[in-house]
Amino acid sequence: MMNSIEEIKHSADAEINNISTSSKLDAFRIKFLSRSGLIAGLFDQLKSISTDERPIVGKAINELRTHVQSLYDDRKSKVDLSSKQTEPFIDLTLPGRERWIGSKHPLTQTMEEIQRIFFHMGFSIADGPEIEDDYHNFEALNFPPDHSARDMQDTFFITDKVLLRTHTSPVQIRVMEQQQPPVRVIIPGRVYRNEAISARSYCLFHQVEGLYVNKGVSFAELKGTLLSFAQQFYGSSIKYRFRPSFFPFTEPSAEMDITCFLCNGKGCKVCKKTGWLEILGCGMVHPNVLRNVKYDSEIYSGYAFGMGIERITMLRFGIDDIRILYDNDIRFLRQF
Amino acid sequence: MRISLNWLKTYVDIDISAAELAERLTMVGFEVESIEHLGEKYNNFIIGEVVEISKHPNANKLTLCKVNIGKEILSIVCGAPNAKLKQKVVVGRVGATVPHNQHDPNGLPFVLTHVKIRGEGSFGMICSEYELGLGDNKDGIMVLPEDSISGCELATFLGLDDTVFEVGITPNRPDAMSHIGIAREVAAMLGKKLKVPSLRLKESKQLTKAYVNIKVVDSLNCPRYSGRIVLGVKIEQSPKWLQSYLKAVNIRPINNVVDITNFVLMEVGQPLHAFDYDKITDHTIIVRKANAGETFTSLDHKGRSLSTDTLMIVDSKRSIAIAGIMGGAETEITESSKNIFIESAYFDSRSVRRSAKRFGLSTDASQRFERGSDPSILPWAADRASQLIQEICGGEVLKNVVDIYPKKIKPKVVNLRPQKVNEVLGITIDSKEVSRLLHKIDIRSSLSRNKNKQKHKIQYIVPHYRPDIEAEIDLIEEVARLYGYNNIETNQNATLSLQSSAPEYNYISEIRDWLIGSGYSEIISNSMQDISLSLLNSKNAVEIANPITQDMAVLRTSLIPGMVRIIKNNISQGNKNLRFFEFGKTYFFEPSIVSSGSSYISGFFEENRLILGYFGQANKQYWNRKAKPVDILDVKGDIQTLFQKIFLDNIKFIPYSTTNALTNRGLVVEIQGIKAGEIALVSNTLLEKFDIDQSVYIAEIKIDLLLQHMDKRKIFKHLPKYPVVNRDVAFIVAENVSSEQLINVIQDAGSSLLLNIELFDIYQGNQVQEGKKSLAFSLEFLSYDHTLNQVEIDRIMQIIINKVSGILGGKLRS
Repeated sequence: MMNSIEEIKHSADAEINNISTSSKLDAFRIKFLSRSGLIAGLFDQLKSISTDERPIVGKAINELRTHVQSLYDDRKSKVDLSSKQTEPFIDLTLPGRERWIGSKHPLTQTMEEIQRIFFHMGFSIADGPEIEDDYHNFEALNFPPDHSARDMQDTFFITDKVLLRTHTSPVQIRVMEQQQPPVRVIIPGRVYRNEAISARSYCLFHQVEGLYVNKGVSFAELKGTLLSFAQQFYGSSIKYRFRPSFFPFTEPSAEMDITCFLCNGKGCKVCKKTGWLEILGCGMVHPNVLRNVKYDSEIYSGYAFGMGIERITMLRFGIDDIRILYDNDIRFLRQF
Repeated sequence: MRISLNWLKTYVDIDISAAELAERLTMVGFEVESIEHLGEKYNNFIIGEVVEISKHPNANKLTLCKVNIGKEILSIVCGAPNAKLKQKVVVGRVGATVPHNQHDPNGLPFVLTHVKIRGEGSFGMICSEYELGLGDNKDGIMVLPEDSISGCELATFLGLDDTVFEVGITPNRPDAMSHIGIAREVAAMLGKKLKVPSLRLKESKQLTKAYVNIKVVDSLNCPRYSGRIVLGVKIEQSPKWLQSYLKAVNIRPINNVVDITNFVLMEVGQPLHAFDYDKITDHTIIVRKANAGETFTSLDHKGRSLSTDTLMIVDSKRSIAIAGIMGGAETEITESSKNIFIESAYFDSRSVRRSAKRFGLSTDASQRFERGSDPSILPWAADRASQLIQEICGGEVLKNVVDIYPKKIKPKVVNLRPQKVNEVLGITIDSKEVSRLLHKIDIRSSLSRNKNKQKHKIQYIVPHYRPDIEAEIDLIEEVARLYGYNNIETNQNATLSLQSSAPEYNYISEIRDWLIGSGYSEIISNSMQDISLSLLNSKNAVEIANPITQDMAVLRTSLIPGMVRIIKNNISQGNKNLRFFEFGKTYFFEPSIVSSGSSYISGFFEENRLILGYFGQANKQYWNRKAKPVDILDVKGDIQTLFQKIFLDNIKFIPYSTTNALTNRGLVVEIQGIKAGEIALVSNTLLEKFDIDQSVYIAEIKIDLLLQHMDKRKIFKHLPKYPVVNRDVAFIVAENVSSEQLINVIQDAGSSLLLNIELFDIYQGNQVQEGKKSLAFSLEFLSYDHTLNQVEIDRIMQIIINKVSGILGGKLRS
């Protein structure tokens, strides 16, 4: 009995060294360690030997099993490693399995960026209808009926008194009608102008309007807020200027220019050789507008500003034809 | 408007460069949009004399010319048949850009270089009228008068040594729509004096009022009407200086009298009209509203039908002008006119605006009246024109201006509190400084400075030419302008109170980001479309009364046609495999609807929607995976995934097989039992309209419903402590049993212990009976309070099998 234990040990010791594949290793396991293997056979024979000898032989078989098992385990780890290295050949230069990519419309990207900056400055968002009445779009904003200021904005009419809003400013009125000061909102939205479609103008576009009304708001604060915006949006090193302009609903009114970032102020086609780019219109809310929403213009003052998203987007990305924004060609959209 | 620098300089001394002046004007609110150096295009064109001419040795039709251009003599090969000795001609030197190439079918410009023509060198070109852009004559070189001076720049010769500013005048500043108006601002800006031309009028002894009878019936719309008569004028071309000024501001010279009225208009901003005095019936002028049904032929020889609202200038028989807008053809100044009546009037801005709108006319006159002209300048303008006519056209100016001015318009008086200036602008200046600034533009306090000194309120008198200044804030703006916007402090220390952002914007951007991550590209499309498209799915489309074109005459009632149009555009460009989305509004006319304040006005309804559009393959093709054409379940799957992403439940997808105008065969999406949209195949009608021959799938969802019902409060639930038990099962059911029916029965039977049901196989074929199908499911069971044992699971499985058999007649597939 002890002899056969010794024999098995020898043959296991000898065989294990020649094993280099997992299939041979498995054959080794079946031969020695499986239920019908040699070691299991030794345990079966154990029943036929005397009870005196049984513990000693049993112990020897157990030691044999532990020994062979460790031979097996030891070899297995080596075989596994080497078999991994010899897996079937894969061409790793094959293209990876990509997925389709989507994209955010460049107008949305500009809009979100502007919104983010003003959120951080304490502005919240307001919204209003695109089909607007004459009162909110013009009259309440200090455009009297039969006034030439209305010609600044060619209007699409639905009826005599109903129109497609020509700017987001009517939402200023709607916000102030529903809320007492302080008011600090931005108003993104779609507006319409009845103008011939060309590379520079489309029949609709998007604006972001801003409004802040409180006690003691001054032009100095308007300048500060817009400068903070411009520095965040266009870069902290920009040069800027405010120059007088006219909007019926603000007074004093201004336009803000920054140095042309395409030519660094040297003058190019885009800035019409002036070195400046007009980026927004603004001003102090006209007392007539405050009066129209029943705010006391002796107690409250405020500022408003508005900018065109298309224009800013075109400047940012160097787009030279506004219509491409509305063509939505996938090759265009994927560039952003 | 165009402002000539030469012209401007006659009213104010300007000692800065054109570029600097432009910059300074821009900074006080008169944006110089462009600067044009008129003569620039004639750089390198010079007047010369042909001093030698001989035949070209190698070409019959060419001559060799020597041309004296003052300081040098150039050799030029010339092909013109009319070149002769001693002619004064225009020479383009090497480097000149010739405006039109005579040999180019489109007449494009070209740059002159030194060339050899058949062996002879040519150092320039003698130009034709056409080549210079000065006329249509191509037949030979342009020959100038003998007294033209050799060596003179062509620009100077043509009176083009001028710089012209294109100035954007805002509608509130009609006073600046003239050279004197701009000069006034320049004078204030540079601290110079405004030089208004002095009048030197020689009047005859005859009184004007004896020659004309003027009656203003409608003095409300015509508060002041004045005029002058000049007898015996000679109508001819204007002198060169006058023509140059007018051409510089893009006014075509007509004849001396008309040119002078235009000159005065551009000089001082007062529109004038010259009538042929002899054609004014009975020498009577009446200012009144038109009669109903009246027609009138204006200067542009167009017949116009008048309304009783139109203010007209009429004589004793007929209308002779539309007040403030345009004169009539019958009384216009012609070559044979001898005696003229010059009208200098003040019309109400609203009346002129209404008529101008009605006729679709915008003239130099109407633009100024509409914005508000200066009632005080009328006699001066009439005198100024009469004086120039006398000087240029000869004639006798009758004595005195006739002036119908029943109710004198007083200058406005506006109060200003200096401390309010500081409050609004955020600066600190004193009342003295405020007055000093306003004084620069002739806005003066009504009281002596001493009396004003103690007051916190100062009265200012506003000149007649500033209709825009009506209230304190208008004066504050003037102070700001003169103080300089850029000198106002920039206060970046604003008080800040953070408010929460409107939540729906965050959710929309969450949905947008998910869609982009899932391979969709965002589109933004036109909300105006063809009426036939909008009417396809709603009778309540909102029509635009004055559309640009018929294909943009109606607001969209669905995002589907716009999406299909964009898909078509992309297909036409050869783009395949499209996945798009758009957030957009739809618009409806709804008489019963009442304004919601912030969303829509009464009678109209606006609805926010989300649309997904699909075309082409459902997935990318790989080297070991084929692409599959998209089908409706791809769209449904994305919508389901999106809904899971935003924790939206209680959703139903209800199949329909009917065809409507926009879609056919699809699923209605219900959220909380309310129809929220659909997932469908685009209808053939729509595909045919856009000429698309493959399937397009869409999903259109009402976004407000989505936002309203999505679960915005995310609350943590404990993870299960006990293991999930999996069982696979397959049922054979009749073909017409829907998967949804079967799943509902299984879920019902499985009760709350059945966590998840996944359909992993559908089989129809040899293995099952005809008319039947097999559906295989992977079921997950879980209890939150104990580990499920085999017996429990077996019991539930048995219930499921029984229910499927009992309700749907389904059998367990073994």
